[in-house]
Amino acid sequence: MVLPLHRVNVLTGIKAAKVIEDAEEYAGLIQRAKRPLLVLGPRLLELSLDGKLLLEYALEIAKTANIPICATAHVKGKMTELGVKPDSVYDAVEIVNHLKDAEWPGVRKEGNHDLVIFFGFRTDLGGQALSTLKHFAPHLKTMTLCKYVYPNADYSLPNFRKDEQWKAFLDSLISNLKKGG
Amino acid sequence: MAKVTEKKKTKRQEEVEKIIKASDPWEPVGHTPMPELPDLRNWDMRLLKTYKPWYAPFCDLCCFCTYGKCDLTAGKRGACGIDIGTQQGRIVLLACCMGLSAHAGHARHIIDYLIEKHGEDYKIDLGANVAVEAPNIRTVLGLKPETLADLRTAIEYVERELLHLVSSLNTGQEGSNLDYESKALHAGMLDHVAMEAADIAQTIGFKYPTSIADTALVGAGWGAVDKSKPVILVIGHNPATSTNIIDYLRKNDLYDKVEVCGICCTALETTRYADKAKVVGPLSRQLFFVRTGIADVIATDEQCIRTDTPVEAKKVGSAFIATSDKACYGLEDASERDADEIVKEMVEKGKQFLILDHEKAGEVAVKVALKLAPQRKKELITEKEAQELAKVCRECEICERVCPNLFSIGKGIHQVAEGNFALLREIFDQCIGCGKCEQECPRHVPIFTVMQLAASKEAYNVRAGRGPIMDTEIRNVGAPIVLGTIPGVVAFVGCSNFPDMEDLIEMVEEFARRRYIVVLSGCSAMVAGMKKDADGKTIYDKYPGSFDAGGVVNVGSCVANAHITGAAIKIANIFATLPLRANYEVIADYILNRVGAVGVAWGAYSQKAASIATGCNRLGIPVILGPHSSKYRRLYLSKKGEDDWTVMDGRKRELVNTGEPSPEHLIYVTETKEKAMVSIPKLCIRKNDTPQGRGIKLNHYISLYKKYMGGGLPEDLHLYVRTDRDLPIVYKKEALAYLKEIGWQPKPVLSLPTLIGTYPSKVPLEAVIH
Repeated sequence: MVLPLHRVNVLTGIKAAKVIEDAEEYAGLIQRAKRPLLVLGPRLLELSLDGKLLLEYALEIAKTANIPICATAHVKGKMTELGVKPDSVYDAVEIVNHLKDAEWPGVRKEGNHDLVIFFGFRTDLGGQALSTLKHFAPHLKTMTLCKYVYPNADYSLPNFRKDEQWKAFLDSLISNLKKGG
Repeated sequence: MAKVTEKKKTKRQEEVEKIIKASDPWEPVGHTPMPELPDLRNWDMRLLKTYKPWYAPFCDLCCFCTYGKCDLTAGKRGACGIDIGTQQGRIVLLACCMGLSAHAGHARHIIDYLIEKHGEDYKIDLGANVAVEAPNIRTVLGLKPETLADLRTAIEYVERELLHLVSSLNTGQEGSNLDYESKALHAGMLDHVAMEAADIAQTIGFKYPTSIADTALVGAGWGAVDKSKPVILVIGHNPATSTNIIDYLRKNDLYDKVEVCGICCTALETTRYADKAKVVGPLSRQLFFVRTGIADVIATDEQCIRTDTPVEAKKVGSAFIATSDKACYGLEDASERDADEIVKEMVEKGKQFLILDHEKAGEVAVKVALKLAPQRKKELITEKEAQELAKVCRECEICERVCPNLFSIGKGIHQVAEGNFALLREIFDQCIGCGKCEQECPRHVPIFTVMQLAASKEAYNVRAGRGPIMDTEIRNVGAPIVLGTIPGVVAFVGCSNFPDMEDLIEMVEEFARRRYIVVLSGCSAMVAGMKKDADGKTIYDKYPGSFDAGGVVNVGSCVANAHITGAAIKIANIFATLPLRANYEVIADYILNRVGAVGVAWGAYSQKAASIATGCNRLGIPVILGPHSSKYRRLYLSKKGEDDWTVMDGRKRELVNTGEPSPEHLIYVTETKEKAMVSIPKLCIRKNDTPQGRGIKLNHYISLYKKYMGGGLPEDLHLYVRTDRDLPIVYKKEALAYLKEIGWQPKPVLSLPTLIGTYPSKVPLEAVIH
């Protein structure tokens, strides 16, 4: 098992995430999903990679793969500033509360989502939210795009020691999604 | 709906009537005197129907018994049959029982101590302005306490219930998560009884100021501590020893010659007793201040004390005394030894002792401090020394991996090595003071010593805790709160594990400025005062201490939290004239539907915080938690507009689907200060608001939304607008256009919303009509 970066998220259990470093494989998982959802957290407003705000990466991924967005915390404000309206606005625990109900119609009212991608959360809150879905939402898969291992997700990135590795992954993911589109 | 029928009176019921002096006619006895586990279960289940438990398991396994470890992942059951949801409920109950026990143990100790001191017939007198002296005890037990012995009766009841609660945790007992939650709610309710008993006992037993709002402004922060004097540091919650230290100083004409300062709630208790005592700071500053070695003597009592305090004291040459049987640290019990002999061994041999005789502990602490102070040579670290120490750092980031607050301490330390101290000072407000970073450092950088540089050396003002809210204040604000024209009561409570200390200070100021009633307790109350504006004023210098619009009220320590729920109960009693006596369901229903109060535990960390919050929830008060509190594993969330929000219109006696999620959640985690700022006004909305009151509440909701969420209107605004009269004038045009666009339809306005009548209960609908 790959250890998460932050020790508060060390897995105390048996079922752990598949850690994937290959952007093409990640893109394939996203493209095979029928109703994916991108859940965006406030860390996206604080971090930049090579001068580009992480939120901009997130919006590019959403646009490229036509994934609806759930904006949590105060993410909506910056999104609006960047000219993008989120498909839904909930806090992290609220969207998870909806997602764990298999009958929930989803943010586009087309049925609950089958792949939920988390991006930009404090790792402790993110880890807990993923734990809820791991235990109570067998009807969906979860994925993370942060640079740390999230053991409670179904698919996670490794701990990227350097931001350059993370940036390269995200750029490659976007370009693979474009190819697939 | 199934009817609940009255049964024949049992022997236990007869005993209860005797205990609560039922023949005493101050109010008729309600339906649940001294309720046992099942008595309020239907109320709990009604709450849990709307606010369903949300679980985030922190651990997938159960390792409680020798069957295990059992993997409970995603639907698997343990060898005993338990599933992951029930296990979470079980852990939540365990946490609540621990928290309840801490407060009840504190209450039991202090009441017994004060009975020993004053006698059991010592009268409860909270001053001319507090006639409803114990709203929680009156409402839960049905007892109107008059003496210390009556407070002991309340604790005996709590102890009896606690036995059954803990029993249910054993392997092979409860098999339903909802029933575990009902028990947790029971534990939470009992916690407020225990806290109330403790704080009343302390207030009367130590003659704290009461029945006044403008208590003294006391010195706070490291800069307030006069290091030129002998320094005694008290840590914890129980004032039995710290008050004896003050007594000894006063008796021996030393009060001005020795500095007594405190960390955590003992600081708040001690400053209620002696306004020359100082508040060093919250729990998160404990290890930092101990490490400075400024304290000549450290005396711990109970709760939230670091379990390595004797070790840390020894490292810096501070003498150490433990004074509580809850935390003996393996030390020799010197309670029956001669005080001067103890002093000699402490001074000459550096011995540490357990002293359970509080008077003796007070004498020893002072004598040792007087002897050790002249030898004290410690000074705070200089920038140059810090720079040298930090040079060893290789920025491996291991410190960051173990940080519970996930912040970048390593970068700050690395910059110190380069002579740049700005980042360290900036991140210090995020540090919760656990010390794990230093422990893990492979280069052994003394991070906590280096971080002393970042600590503010300023002296601040904090208003001393004032205890119960006065009945006279409730008479003034009861109507505006219930009608909504005072937009809400916001209680910032508890511990200091904040994502950032600055968050709390900003929130307090924002809501005080908006003329909410802001109430504070515990470490949050201290932290709120630890920032000065451009004019050098703290929040307590700027806002009055009265329970009124725009007031900033420090009720006191953790156990004073009972005065916050007590104030909500008093509104039902004094303003709405509802009887309290053993009338829990009616009062909780009133508060849930009518009293716009919300708790914010932004830095909650302990089991005590879990039980306090759960007690608020049973009483109908929602609570907002900071992000790391998702580790409590359980929240109570609604699904907003998608849930059934049917209530009874008490006057028309008919069920009405209001479609209004108010309050939206009972206990809720949010990740950022910005979102909390928006959630607070929303959680103050109640179905009973008048159009004028709703307009005021929505005005704050919308304006805070625009300020912190980047403009626009809240996406759920339509759920809280019943008629266009609810809309604040300033946003009316914009809001009406939005409502039209989404096809909003007017909703009913109720004058007497209640859940009574929507679930099986012994309480008739008539009981809520007043």
